[in-house]
Amino acid sequence: MSRSIKKGPFIDAKLEKKVLAQNEAGTKNPITTWARACTISPDFIGHIFMVHDGRRHVKVAVNEDMVGHKLGEFAPSRVFRGHTNKKEGAKGGR
Amino acid sequence: MARVIGVDIPNDKRLEISLTYIFGVGRKTALDVCRDLNLDPGMKSRELNEEQVTAIATHLQKTYNVEGELRRSLAQAITRLRDIGCYRGLRHRRGLPVRGQRTRTNARSRKGPKKTVAGKKSIKK
Repeated sequence: MSRSIKKGPFIDAKLEKKVLAQNEAGTKNPITTWARACTISPDFIGHIFMVHDGRRHVKVAVNEDMVGHKLGEFAPSRVFRGHTNKKEGAKGGR
Repeated sequence: MARVIGVDIPNDKRLEISLTYIFGVGRKTALDVCRDLNLDPGMKSRELNEEQVTAIATHLQKTYNVEGELRRSLAQAITRLRDIGCYRGLRHRRGLPVRGQRTRTNARSRKGPKKTVAGKKSIKK
């Protein structure tokens, strides 16, 4: 079920604060975050986020087409390296 | 046979049905159009006069997103998802189901005909 409109989009409060601070200062430093569920608000355009994918932080440069999506949508948490091949055996994951 | 909006040639079925041959028009839209234009949904489309055909065409193009226009906007929406590199876009790129369905079995609409892999254990025991 989709989120109630009454509540408005979920935007991580701490993350938003950091973005707004950077907007004020005019800087665009990468922001490391675990807030994958945070909706991308128009304020975020042009910023760079390091979004946690469960193991490391994936670089996500936000542009205007991404508004309304969530940060986690841009940092895949599963890596599919193809199916196992009998001759070669299982492919090593990193 | 009447031609409504370029290519579409609904036959001699009831009007409410023949209008659904247009891409982007279903039963609901077809009935709405009939009501808006004061046409009998039960009449055969062969009985339409030219005036009515033009009226339907202009009404559809003005009020709804149909045919080429609709196809274009759909394709654009998918291209957008692909280009921004979000999860849904990745699923479109790979030709896998986009909305979280299982892929261990089924998902044949997206994946196409079965590709049998030799030596793969069957799922049921």
